[in-house]
Amino acid sequence: MVPAAPALLTPESRQPLPEPTPPSTHRGGGRPFSRRILPYLPYLPAFVPVAIVAAIVLELLAQSRFHNFGWEFFGSTFVGPGSNDWGIGVFVVGSFVTAIPALFFSMFLGLGIAVASVVYLPRVVSRFLDGFVDLLAGIPSVVYGIWGYLFVAPYFGSALNPWLFHHLGGIPGFGGLPPPGSGLGLPLGVFILTLMALPITTLLIRDALRSLPRELWESGLALGATRWECLRKVALPHSRAGILSAAFLGFGRAFGETVAIAMVLNLVAHYPSNVYSGTATVAAMLFELLDSAYGNSLFLSWLAELALVLLAITATVNVVGRLFISRLSATQIAGV
Amino acid sequence: MERVVLPTTAAAGEILFDRSARTRWRLGFDRWAGRLLPLLFLIAILPILDLAYWTASSALPTLSLHVLTDVNYKDVDQLGVPLVSTAEVMALATGLAVLFGLFGGVATAEFLSDRAAAWVRVSANILAGTPSVIVGTFVFFAFCIYLGWGFSMIAGVLALAFFITPYIYRTADLALTSVPRHLREAAYGSGARPYQYILRVAAPIALPQILNGIFLAMAIGVGETAPIVLTTTNSVILPNSLFGPVAFLTATIWENFSAPAGTPGLAIALQAAFLLLVVVVALNIVVRLIAARYRKRLEGLYQ
Repeated sequence: MVPAAPALLTPESRQPLPEPTPPSTHRGGGRPFSRRILPYLPYLPAFVPVAIVAAIVLELLAQSRFHNFGWEFFGSTFVGPGSNDWGIGVFVVGSFVTAIPALFFSMFLGLGIAVASVVYLPRVVSRFLDGFVDLLAGIPSVVYGIWGYLFVAPYFGSALNPWLFHHLGGIPGFGGLPPPGSGLGLPLGVFILTLMALPITTLLIRDALRSLPRELWESGLALGATRWECLRKVALPHSRAGILSAAFLGFGRAFGETVAIAMVLNLVAHYPSNVYSGTATVAAMLFELLDSAYGNSLFLSWLAELALVLLAITATVNVVGRLFISRLSATQIAGV
Repeated sequence: MERVVLPTTAAAGEILFDRSARTRWRLGFDRWAGRLLPLLFLIAILPILDLAYWTASSALPTLSLHVLTDVNYKDVDQLGVPLVSTAEVMALATGLAVLFGLFGGVATAEFLSDRAAAWVRVSANILAGTPSVIVGTFVFFAFCIYLGWGFSMIAGVLALAFFITPYIYRTADLALTSVPRHLREAAYGSGARPYQYILRVAAPIALPQILNGIFLAMAIGVGETAPIVLTTTNSVILPNSLFGPVAFLTATIWENFSAPAGTPGLAIALQAAFLLLVVVVALNIVVRLIAARYRKRLEGLYQ
């Protein structure tokens, strides 16, 4: 007699599920090391930049020893070691005085160049010319510095500065002490900084204009607007955010520039008396003074605090500037 | 010859041939903007050509093979030692930065959640926007003084490595996140493990872009002055120890740029500037060539 096949699918034939193992009470849930720690190991390298930034901030804080220079720290008198005058006001003002005119010039030039490149020039020509502008970003600042110091400075000293002095001397700031014959000073510093900020502003504005959808250009032109009108009424409003970010990042570059400024600006720790005089920037002073401060702990504390001020300003400018651009694409090329 | 004027409004057939003063002004303004704005390129391009021409013409007359290749002892007029030392420092710094940046970028793109990645990217951007003098100051305090390594080659290498890490990190991250989504989903969907996806699917696509980032970082690093000058002592011989002094091209320029005209010191600064310019421009051209190629490839993949 053939036995009846067991009814596999009846509820009675089901095996009961095994009891779940109760969760372990000691740390790690009783899982071995290889399951507990190792799976998280690949996450670790992702925090390299966080670690470097944190290390920089913590080390500078530690080296400043929280030395309290009082409100005088933000004052304008700096004499340095052996005195009680440790103000950084001169340097912060000097940084702004060089960076803001440079930003002004490089934004206007950058807008014009970006518009010419995106709107007016044929693609082949503009691609070739854009390459040159991007190359400006790659030139080392020390090369700008030696070129400015040896080659450009004599022109400023013998031609541009005297011309400004004679023709615009009536305007406050353009008169006063005659410009030095060496040509070093604010105009040369602003000129070099303009060249250094120009590729960044141009690149970001160009990217912003290029990201305008093609349909908007075409519908503007089809409605009878000229290219200039399309630009003014459609493209520029659309790329406001990109232009704003260009201003911020260009400013960050100009504000933090060190070596070129230390070479072409007549470094003196006082406010500029007129547009031709020398002054000092935070970055250039930090660079010039650090090695000479070796062994003087008060001086080193002050320099660490100066570095923190510079870091705070440049980091803020960078973070705010990048809020406006969601993603870096072509900007990668110049290392912005 | 009569010029056909484009219609100014979409109202069909209303004004097809408008020769009013206002239209002529609008079209003329546009035409002159197109003629004048490209001239602004001159303001950017003339300085760079002038800089290149001036550097070459003031360096080349005194440059000879002997100046470049003699590494036995650095006289005041020889560049062999700074050249070789620069190559060594750059090799070490780039190696370290690739180690930090490549693994970091891959981990950020592949393993972190979007939220965590956004935060880590902010810190990378902060680091990339930090002036190099700050990184130099940090290494000066932390390694030269606190750890007692003194002004040494290793401190300079570390300073450069920290400074160029974010550039490599960001390109590695960007290269991996811009691998087309369907490839990623297909790989994981057919059971690939993360390392298999990274090595066999993503790497062949992302590699040119990552290489590009490495070249870019080298071009930025070799031109940096502040991190090196603040953390090393200049040397007249080739480096024989990681904790000894070392020469560097940019530091050579910085130390000699204000030498009186006609002295060997100034000549060496100009030669160093010329060599630096050649190296940096060459690296930048390589970067642009690679970028043009991978952009075409990526566009092909998305179709």
